[in-house]
Amino acid sequence: MKPFTFLAPRGLDEAVAMLGEHGPDARVIAGGQSLLLAMKERLARPSALVSVAGVAGLRDWTYSESGQLDIGAATTYAELAEAALRGWHAEIAAVAGNLADRPVRTMGTLGGALCQADPRFDMPALAVGVGAEVDTVSADGVRTRSADELFRPEGGTVLGPGEILTRVRYPAADAYRAVAFEKFRYRQFDAALVSVVCAVRPDGSLRLAVGAVRPRPVLVSATDPAGIADEVLPAAEATTRLRAYQRELIAVLARRAIDRVNDDARS
Amino acid sequence: MQEITLTVNGRAVTATVDERTLLLEYVRDVAGYTGTHNGCLEARCGCCAVEVDGDVVKSCNVLALQCDGASVTTVEGLSPQRVKPVQHITTQSLAGVYAPLDALQADADTLHPLQQAFHRRHALQCGFCTPGMLMVLKDFLEDNPEPTRDEVRGAIAGNLCRCTGYQHIVDAAMDAAEQMRQDTVRAAAAGDA
Repeated sequence: MKPFTFLAPRGLDEAVAMLGEHGPDARVIAGGQSLLLAMKERLARPSALVSVAGVAGLRDWTYSESGQLDIGAATTYAELAEAALRGWHAEIAAVAGNLADRPVRTMGTLGGALCQADPRFDMPALAVGVGAEVDTVSADGVRTRSADELFRPEGGTVLGPGEILTRVRYPAADAYRAVAFEKFRYRQFDAALVSVVCAVRPDGSLRLAVGAVRPRPVLVSATDPAGIADEVLPAAEATTRLRAYQRELIAVLARRAIDRVNDDARS
Repeated sequence: MQEITLTVNGRAVTATVDERTLLLEYVRDVAGYTGTHNGCLEARCGCCAVEVDGDVVKSCNVLALQCDGASVTTVEGLSPQRVKPVQHITTQSLAGVYAPLDALQADADTLHPLQQAFHRRHALQCGFCTPGMLMVLKDFLEDNPEPTRDEVRGAIAGNLCRCTGYQHIVDAAMDAAEQMRQDTVRAAAAGDA
């Protein structure tokens, strides 16, 4: 690791001011489960770390009046996995409880996963798949984006250096009849090799997204497994063994996700 | 450099440390509890697992500064008699490798149920992964008193053991779960009486 300054603000305004003060090389740290690994490899060399773990009001979840599920960005996976969420929101808790391993889930956060924007992570794919919204705060004020807008096509996020992700809002429980997240990984604590999110709207139409294949999670328009595989990873591009395997996995996981939502939607 | 205070196994430890100090380094080098092992240093092997405010973390992937003011429990905190930090490696402490309970001046009854079960079920060979296994399983069994074998395997997915093949570790965890359930019942009965 390269030397850095560690700052622990208590409030959001203070955090934004600290980020501004320390310039573009300052980074936000929540749980640090991705950032610290990158810093040890010197892939990340922040001049300052602004910890949002102690910032009030970022580690909770509530239902808004319109029924949206509003989750603080510094909520850990472990907290999310234990949250009593209703309807299809239970799938968010299920995903949070089935990634990485137990000690990592204690520290790792929802917002951290979104900001890290690793395509193999589950939370970015799920957020894009169900059409979540994210709020950020910077010196210019509060800004809301859709999760789809958050991720750049070539990887990473569109967030500026002084921006802090504060809230993640998922559509109301009645926005979908059911949501299923399916993924494949070599070992239980590995990130996904392919992940597929399938949501059924009240009119019965499907909303599908595929993660871990492209540099960002992608929404697809096809609704049949073979079509989804063609759209995300055409046979012509699946030239390596890994890519060919991923192409097969997309169709298999899409089939599982679609079958599961259809079962859930009926019951 | 920043001054921080962590409560390690019930003892307040204050030190001025470099910002880059990992919780693992703080626990081992500053507080002196070397039971927490440095395995991979990249959050893979789980040998460094400790509890921070009651939840298990991999201490090699957490900054000590992130835990300022927190209460940390290491494997030494599991059995109450082993709370004295080891300052030097001596022939006596090395002898502990061969007769660990004697060296600790402990007997099987004062160990944590998990430690007893590991001892009884031969759930360690070289013992390097054991502190991490114990801490993760303790946290898991406290939240899930009636696990299945598959769930136990899932709980230690982030802990690597190259000796045992995990079979005896799962055996020990199931044993310990049973013991901890009985202890809970007994404690509740004692509370009623």
